[in-house]
Amino acid sequence: MPAALRFPGGGWVASSGALIPLAIALAAWWVPDDADQGYSQRIFYFHVPIALTTYAAFAYGAFCAAAYLKTRDPRWDLRSYVGVHVGAIFGTLVLITGSIWAKVSWGVWWDWSDRQLNVFLVLFLYYCAYFMLRFSVDEGEQRMSYSAVYTLLGVGLIPLSILAVRIAQSLVHPTVFTTSGAAMTNDMFMTFLVAFAGMLCLAAGMIAMELRGKRAALRVRELRRRLEGTDL
Amino acid sequence: MIGDALALARKDLLLEVRRREVVLAMLQYVITTLVVIHFAIAGAGSSQKAAAGMLWAAILFTAVLSLNRCFAADQEEGALDALLLAPIDRAAIWLGKVLAQMTFLLIMEAIALPAFWLFFFGEKGPRPLPVIAAVLLANIGLATIGVLVAGLAQATRARDVLLPVLFLPLSIPLVIAAVTATLESFPGGSGAQKALQFLAVFNIVFTSLAWGTYEHLAGE
Repeated sequence: MPAALRFPGGGWVASSGALIPLAIALAAWWVPDDADQGYSQRIFYFHVPIALTTYAAFAYGAFCAAAYLKTRDPRWDLRSYVGVHVGAIFGTLVLITGSIWAKVSWGVWWDWSDRQLNVFLVLFLYYCAYFMLRFSVDEGEQRMSYSAVYTLLGVGLIPLSILAVRIAQSLVHPTVFTTSGAAMTNDMFMTFLVAFAGMLCLAAGMIAMELRGKRAALRVRELRRRLEGTDL
Repeated sequence: MIGDALALARKDLLLEVRRREVVLAMLQYVITTLVVIHFAIAGAGSSQKAAAGMLWAAILFTAVLSLNRCFAADQEEGALDALLLAPIDRAAIWLGKVLAQMTFLLIMEAIALPAFWLFFFGEKGPRPLPVIAAVLLANIGLATIGVLVAGLAQATRARDVLLPVLFLPLSIPLVIAAVTATLESFPGGSGAQKALQFLAVFNIVFTSLAWGTYEHLAGE
């Protein structure tokens, strides 16, 4: 591995650096046009993997939050925060790529009758509020437990939003949108998997790098405090 | 545990009877909100869908109003620290607050629902029973997540600002189901049963989550 990549998470970053360009190439030249939507459907290979990665990052954040509440080890709190943070970044990308795709294929930037859009929006809003909560509590054990409890509540929110949106729609709109996901050809599925793996590696790399930065910042602050003798 | 919770709820209700800080404001607020939303959507409140939405928007925002005061008295007088030191289960503090909040909401709705019917439905309204069931079930959910979130918000610097920001996203599934229940109770609707079941599930999930996590809140 080149020296520039020899840091925690460097492997993830390197893999994503290989996989994402490969996915772009596959999506652009290899897969056939979608029978229904034509060329524009190719954004699917980025939009859906990014969305799944967002869920994965939030799930990682929630897992670390549970681990924090169990162990009371501040390292889990930092991991949980970084997971939610990277999730929020990917979530923003999902909303952007999703809007572009919606504009091209449905003719609107946002469709309130689509189930997945609504569930995603609820979850995204919820985890955006996480940062407001976290940064208005003073640093320390209280902030860590509050953040952890809030992150965990999101785990209950996901299935319930899916269920609520489904109930509202099956009654208001009798026709249910079917995704074309199941009807994928092999080359489409391959491209999708490559893109998904690339996005996951990118997220893992970002999490590892941000953790490293945050830990370094904490360490610097601690050292400075000791140097100035204010930590007596 | 239940006894502790009841005693705490009684304390909050007694305080409210003596101070009359919250409930009167809630009543005023819920009626005003109904009127404001009605004018904001330019009279479209006469349509069933808009009316059902207005009702639940008004209930939700009024709940925020009372939740903002949920821990205020305890904090101003330092009772919260005393409660945390007291040899009671922390979940009992949460449960007591939930009971008190549910009572406030019930009083508010006992006035707001008839007024709402009078303003917007007249005799063409939905069947009242499923709507009342939805209101009762939603009260449990609103109080459950509301008190938990108020517990989170009360220790922060941006207390009153933060509460709605944390509370509203959590309550979206609840609002979706409650509005669905209301709409489906209109003559010709397919029945509110599914949405009511959902509200019950929501309450079970968040009651257990709140119960399990509350001990980690309210200071160390």
